[in-house]
Formats: sequence, structure tokens, C-alpha cells
Amino acid sequence: MKKWIKVLAVLAIIGIIAAVLVFKFVYNKPHPDFEKKKADYSLMAKELYESYKMDETAAADKFNGKVVEVSGTLSKVETSGELVIAVFEFEDGMFGPEGVRVTMLPNQNDALKAVDITGEIVLKGFCTGYNGVDVIIEKGSLVN
Amino acid sequence: MRISVVLIFALLFSINNSFAQKYMTKNGHIRFFSSTPLENIEAHNRQVNSALDVSTGDFVFKVLIKSFEFEKALMQEHFNENYMESDKFPNASFNGKVTNISSITHTKDGTYNADVEGKLTIHGVTKDIKEKGTFTVKDGVIQGFSKFNVKVADYEIKIPGAVVNNIAESIEVTVDVKLEKL
Repeated sequence: MKKWIKVLAVLAIIGIIAAVLVFKFVYNKPHPDFEKKKADYSLMAKELYESYKMDETAAADKFNGKVVEVSGTLSKVETSGELVIAVFEFEDGMFGPEGVRVTMLPNQNDALKAVDITGEIVLKGFCTGYNGVDVIIEKGSLVN
Repeated sequence: MRISVVLIFALLFSINNSFAQKYMTKNGHIRFFSSTPLENIEAHNRQVNSALDVSTGDFVFKVLIKSFEFEKALMQEHFNENYMESDKFPNASFNGKVTNISSITHTKDGTYNADVEGKLTIHGVTKDIKEKGTFTVKDGVIQGFSKFNVKVADYEIKIPGAVVNNIAESIEVTVDVKLEKL
């Protein structure tokens, strides 16, 4: 076989491998595993809520898009379709109680439902921000 | 004295009555869908805050941009970092009115057409919109539904040339909120 054909064949194989790797690890890369991710911040749920109430911009710069671990006593566990939401309520607003809402990862739903909500709880998840009423944390998981 | 007591009760009743006219949800659903010959992209946000005052027709919703979920992590990353700049503009909102609220009987089961108009803010840009939808009343719950299109360019969302053929110029937005009495 001529040398240039061999070179072309090797280049083609390298190209195919590169394309497969890009497809798998870049285009099709998995979503972050928030259950395993280390928290960027750990604080009381009430502190987190008050941070946004006091200075929304500063709190957003600090917490939005970060993995946040919050602790406190839950007010209730809410179910909405397939979502299970841990709710910390701190004050009444124009549209009812306001606080921190943690939407759990699907594999954490049963664990949260089984928790005794009268005790202190620690939850971790991805903070998406403050919507003017509540601080929203998603992909939540139980830490304790 | 007696008149004062009557007035206080009347005031309390009117406040209570005005609260009874508000319906809301914290788990509304907004989906957007982009369709091009190269690929379809869709995202869902199930953390939509929405409120409707059936006495005035005031209708609002607010969404956190980072709460939109995509099938592919890379798309979600690009959506937040490159297109919507969600660190700079963390929310999108609608603030408006159901202009034909008087023709919607919130106490009677049924499906009613709704004319909605107001200000839609996305990516820090506010535009007046006028859309149609439905409100379905069932067992005291009002389900609001609307499907409309939003032009990406209207909200100054810049799509890089490399992916300009992958993202539609007009995105289909579906709003589905189940509003319960406050």
C-alpha cells in the first residue's frame, strides 16, 4: 500500500475517534451530579432567604448557579405532579408564605417524604435564584 | 361608635374578599420549543410563579432562567451563558391583564377563552404583547393555558453564527399554570 494511503487512513481513524469523543464528552456530556457535588456554601435556610431579601443583586452574584447546602426546620413537604418540594417558610407575603423551596431529585422523593419534618434537616441543591417570593433550589438531596 | 365598628367589619370583609379573588401557583410550567431542520430543542421550567386576580384581571408570572431544564447539559450551558446571560438577567416576567376577565366565571366549571395583554420581559428587554389563551375552571382550580411565539431578535438575544441554523428565529412558548385560590 502506498505511503500516502496509509497516512490518509490513519488520519481518517483519528478524525472518527475525535468526532466520537467530542460527541460523547462535549455535545452529549451528562448533566452534573448534584447529589455528589460538594456544596459551595453551607448556611441556614433563613440566612439564605434573608440574604436575597436584603440585597437581591449581591445574593444573586454569590449564590445563583451554585451548589448550596441549607439547614433548618421544614414547614411542609409539597407534592406537585412528579415534583416533591421541601418548603421552608419564613414570612407572609402578598401571595402567602415566602421562604426557600427545594425541589428534590426524583431519587430523593421517597426519602424526603419519610423524614420527620419536626426536626432539623440539611438539604443540598442547585440554587437557581430568587423569584421575588421564594429562593429556589433544585436537584435537591438530603444531606442528613 | 356603632358606625365605627360597622365600618371596621366592612373593611375587614372587603380585604378578606379581595384576597379570596386571588389565585396562584408556585409550580407553573413553561416550555419553549425551537424547531429547525437541523435539530429540535426544548426546555422546561416547572417552578413558575403565577398569580391571577379574578376581580381585576391582573395576571403575572415570573420565572427564573436558570430553572429551565434541557435534555442536553451543553445546550443548558449555552442557553444560560451565551444566549440568555442568566447571571446578568436572572428572571423573565409577564405583567399584564386578562382583558376579558368579566366573561370568565371563576366559580363555574368550564373552559373560557382569554385575551391577555401586558408586558413581557426577557433578557432585560420589555415588549408589549397581546396573546390568546384559555382558562379552564374545574373544582375551584383555574388552569391557564397559552401557546405563542416569541422572536429571539425582539429580545436582543444574540445567537452566534456557528449555531444560527440550529436555533429557530421564533421560539414557541407554552404556558400551563394551575392556579389555586389563595
